[in-house]
Amino acid sequence: MTSIILLSIFGIVNLFLGFMKSKRVLLPIVMVFLAVALAAAVRDWGQLNTYFGNFNTMMNMDNFAVAFSSVMILSALFILPFSRSYAVGENANLAEYYSLLLFSLVGGIMMVTYENLLMLFLGIEIMSVSMYILAGSDKRNVLSNEASMKYFLMGAFFTGIILFGIALLYGATGSFSLPIISAAAQALEPGTAPLLLMGLLLVLVGITFKVGAAPFHFWTPDVYDGTPTIFTSYMSTVVKTAGIAAFYKLLSAAFGGVYEQWFPTVVAITVLTLVIGNVGAVAQTSFKRMLAYSSISHAGYLMIALTAFNERSENAILFYSLAYAVATIAAFGVLKYVSDARGSNDYEAFSGLGRTNPLLAFVMTVAMLSLAGIPLTGGFFGKLFLFSAALEQDMVWLIVVAVLMSAVGIYYYFRVIIAMYLRDAVAERVPVDSLGTFTLISLVVLTVIMGVLPGLFSGLL
Amino acid sequence: MTGNIFYFLAFLTLFAAIGVVASKNPVYSVLFMILTFFALTGQYILLNAQFVAAVNFIVYMGAIMVLFLFVIMFLNMREDTEQHKPLMSKIAAAISGGILLVIMVAALKDVDAGGYNAENFNSQIGLVEHLGQVLFRDYLLPFELASVLFLAAMAGAVMLGKREPGEQNRF
Repeated sequence: MTSIILLSIFGIVNLFLGFMKSKRVLLPIVMVFLAVALAAAVRDWGQLNTYFGNFNTMMNMDNFAVAFSSVMILSALFILPFSRSYAVGENANLAEYYSLLLFSLVGGIMMVTYENLLMLFLGIEIMSVSMYILAGSDKRNVLSNEASMKYFLMGAFFTGIILFGIALLYGATGSFSLPIISAAAQALEPGTAPLLLMGLLLVLVGITFKVGAAPFHFWTPDVYDGTPTIFTSYMSTVVKTAGIAAFYKLLSAAFGGVYEQWFPTVVAITVLTLVIGNVGAVAQTSFKRMLAYSSISHAGYLMIALTAFNERSENAILFYSLAYAVATIAAFGVLKYVSDARGSNDYEAFSGLGRTNPLLAFVMTVAMLSLAGIPLTGGFFGKLFLFSAALEQDMVWLIVVAVLMSAVGIYYYFRVIIAMYLRDAVAERVPVDSLGTFTLISLVVLTVIMGVLPGLFSGLL
Repeated sequence: MTGNIFYFLAFLTLFAAIGVVASKNPVYSVLFMILTFFALTGQYILLNAQFVAAVNFIVYMGAIMVLFLFVIMFLNMREDTEQHKPLMSKIAAAISGGILLVIMVAALKDVDAGGYNAENFNSQIGLVEHLGQVLFRDYLLPFELASVLFLAAMAGAVMLGKREPGEQNRF
């Protein structure tokens, strides 16, 4: 709760700071804001704070919520340094960008703390509205305009679907509150509660859209491609983490008792997402579009833990979200520097980067290895934990599919590594500022720490 | 009596909603939409939700529809300038929408919607007093947090609409 209040206030303060003559000071100030919010979130660790009564609980700040809020704020903190080119270029709207990021974090925290479907809905909306705007923040760019418009129209449509689902759930149970829905769902005879199941299906479809899982993934490549890189990295890490945590919370807190009812749907979505995400990524020539498909496939991996749905799932999702976020931010960070300098998001832009910028190439290599799930990186243990959660439910065939798809993943993740080290340089050295270098190195260190000492993060919940 | 009014309003809603989608002229679409909202307002009154009915009447039928008409006027849309979807995508949309309809009808046809009990029915439930109490007591937190949503939307709208340095107004 403290972090929500702080982030809202900081967002407003930041809007006023935008009146200052120089925009350069905004970046350090916002980083301090985020650090304070992170501290406020972590302070709640180990205690259960319930807000707004026993009967009408609106949000629960438990360890689950604290952990996922921290992952989101930390990701935002790691993304910010790459916006330095905006600050140096005195971008006229920088204060608004940062404020929208802070507001969307408020929505993200609501999505992991909600105990009431109304809070879930508001959280999703706050997060999405900020993202619709940031997707179109490059006003003169047609691709950015298209991304914003597409995301907004599709998002508004799926918001309608979620609301319809919530209305049906209210009709079936008479409440928005998760514990009451859970009790009502368990009391009903399985298969004889069409209103409840229809509501669940529609809410599920809506959240699936928000995490970008197949078959509701069609917006992802275009939107991720057109959005300015820095906000793409925010979408594919913070928004995805919030979405998947909200998804898990919905299934566990409200529908844990009717596992058999939603299992077939969720497992079908998982397999479809894994296949479409990975196979789709192979065909791309643009690195940024490949990362968009890769984010679809990682939503699929995360959903393996949802289908497994046992006591290992929470920890597996948390670890994987963190490992995925760290590696993805590093990849997008390098992409931002390369595309700013060479004017292209394609694989060819990375040619010879190993010679001109050994550090950037190394960071990108570690990020790709982590995303592919190679040992000694965080991604390996992330996948291991997800698969062991699935193994406990005896879902061997699902693991086989996932491992096969990881093998496909190695192909397209290694294409950029090959381009960086085995092709001749097409251009000059890419300029990198010191703050960015420091951030990239910390991301690599964090990835390797997660790969060598996974125990530090694995048993938190 | 109430049942007959319900069926009439439901028919009117569906008829007007189909009219919104089917009419070629955007101005007709908007007028059909006003009719849809009007019929919905009638449903709210039947549900004893007078406040929601009034708000729906003023905000949706009044303010938002005027906004719609203004936008259509500014865009100067006509039948011949409107882009038409290829036939294939129309068929595909009709099939997938139809499948969803079949599934929902099949799943929801047996639902026991539950009646109301005339003895302990609170006729004041949709009035402003009760609504205010629910809003400011039970749902205070979401109510307050909705302000963040509006703030974000407002800041974004200003940011997107603001003139950049060196840009000229085209209107």
